[in-house]
Amino acid sequence: MTEFDTADMVAAYLGGGLVVLGVVGIGLLEIAAGSPHPVSGEGQIVHEALVPLGIRSSLIILGLLVWAAYAMYKVAATTPATGSARPR
Amino acid sequence: MATNVDTSLLGRDVSFTVSEPWLAYWLVVMRLAVGWWFLHAGLDKFLAWPFDASWFVGGAAASTTLAPVVTAFSGGAALAFVNVMVPVGQTLIGLGVVVGALTRLASFFGAFLMAFFYFINGETGGWAHGLVTGELLGLLVFAMIATLGAGRVLGIDAILARTALFENHPKLRYVIG
Repeated sequence: MTEFDTADMVAAYLGGGLVVLGVVGIGLLEIAAGSPHPVSGEGQIVHEALVPLGIRSSLIILGLLVWAAYAMYKVAATTPATGSARPR
Repeated sequence: MATNVDTSLLGRDVSFTVSEPWLAYWLVVMRLAVGWWFLHAGLDKFLAWPFDASWFVGGAAASTTLAPVVTAFSGGAALAFVNVMVPVGQTLIGLGVVVGALTRLASFFGAFLMAFFYFINGETGGWAHGLVTGELLGLLVFAMIATLGAGRVLGIDAILARTALFENHPKLRYVIG
């Protein structure tokens, strides 16, 4: 059985958690509170949104940065396991 | 043919069976779809050359969360760099993902570029119907392809992996599928 190590867990749970919180979690809150979509079709920020758009975007960006940092860490600090795929 | 996945996630045991040929099949389908998306976008810009990104990095981006990073590229040599690197990058990323060459590297930069498109297009109107857009899904597909290393499925990475360069430098295997 293969499992996540510490770095994997940080990327998967912290990075993924922030992305899912920003996209899905706050989206659910906005729906429950009856808030409008965060921007209009013309790109105007709708200030009646429950969570300010800048905060929501920043949470998602932070999650993506955790993922990116994990990718760079893996390349810099570890060596990939040899694959077992059979050449055909 | 099926393989058993036996692991744990969020502290709970996870065990399920996945069909190997269907897994390989969907990896290739995802690669072709998202790869062609970028390859087409890149080629389109070359066919309509010259490409000018100033409306995006200097105009649309100015009011977005990414403004501090992106508007630094809105003029002079930095803009000239962006005007060349966006079409070149999209073309190379798309080509790499479609043919499965340096797939992880291409997918990483695909997700990187897609992050800018997602936030800037989204905050300037693309999120009018919610935050899940094609650009977010594209970003996630690139991340999935990079994680799973899908290039060795009917891809050039299968050949690259057997070359002396990649055999002798194991770290380089991170950039291929």
